[in-house]
Amino acid sequence: MNDRDILKLYREGGREEAFRLLVQTYKERLYWHIRRMVLDHDDTDDCLQNTFVKAWQSLDRFRGDAQLYTWLYRIATNESITFLTRQQTRGEYADLEAARRLSTDPWFDGDQLQMALHKAIAKLPPKQKAVFNLRYFDEMPYEQISRVLDTSEGALKASYHHAYEKVKAWVKEEIDEKY
Amino acid sequence: MRMNEQNDILERARQAGQPFKTPEGYFDALEDRLMARISVEASKPAPTRRQRIWMAFKPALALAATFALIFGMGYGVLSLTHTLDGRKAADATAGYASAEEELIRHSSVINYYQTDDPAEAEEEIDEDTLIDFLTSEMSFSDLAEIYAQSF
Repeated sequence: MNDRDILKLYREGGREEAFRLLVQTYKERLYWHIRRMVLDHDDTDDCLQNTFVKAWQSLDRFRGDAQLYTWLYRIATNESITFLTRQQTRGEYADLEAARRLSTDPWFDGDQLQMALHKAIAKLPPKQKAVFNLRYFDEMPYEQISRVLDTSEGALKASYHHAYEKVKAWVKEEIDEKY
Repeated sequence: MRMNEQNDILERARQAGQPFKTPEGYFDALEDRLMARISVEASKPAPTRRQRIWMAFKPALALAATFALIFGMGYGVLSLTHTLDGRKAADATAGYASAEEELIRHSSVINYYQTDDPAEAEEEIDEDTLIDFLTSEMSFSDLAEIYAQSF
């Protein structure tokens, strides 16, 4: 069932069934997107639930001219950025702390290179981290990222290029220090 | 895959796969947990009109209060600074006034004839007597000297 069918079902009164279909279709993609942003599984679960609750509350106001996929990514990205920003405002720098905790996280079994990669990504500012992740992991076209983040394609390309170079340098630094 | 990408450390990291895991059955249980949360949220009483208005205006009010506080503090500091400057100006004016009085006292023609005897000082001299005295008793050079001393 595609986005159009889900929306049709929702508008014809099958609200709960349509919403369940929406969750089934997008839960994994959105989970991994949020997880790469906030790193910790429990924090990811909170952000993902908030994303779907917000989607449920405003699905009747959803305009058909945007894709559900883009709309949900936008809500999920905003939830993740808000979560990270709130932590930074509290002075906890929990994103960096979460990156340090990866080595003891039971839900992370990456090698040294993957560990170094996620520690490096955690150093990026929240919005640039979203740009980097959407392009690098999800291989989302700039045109779609532009709709998710409401930013021009030119600015996104520049942001991704800078993020890529920074992350590469930090990963190399981390790997060279250890080996 | 292009050679550059194969050599790139970030490309190697990407090809290493997904390093994150989830607790078993997490995705299967997610829908039911979500629906349970949504029904809890739906059972909460909806905010009243007054609460909604308050929630909508709260950020604007907070901003306005901040501006008012900054303005109040600025006004207080400026008022304090002005009061101090005013006092300094008043002191300075008083200083000028006394200096002027002092100069007048020293340069006054009347002071030239000042006497220590208060009775004599209070004695009035009429205008004709004064002119008579000045024309008969004082030379031109004396008058010029008195005039020069008065400035």
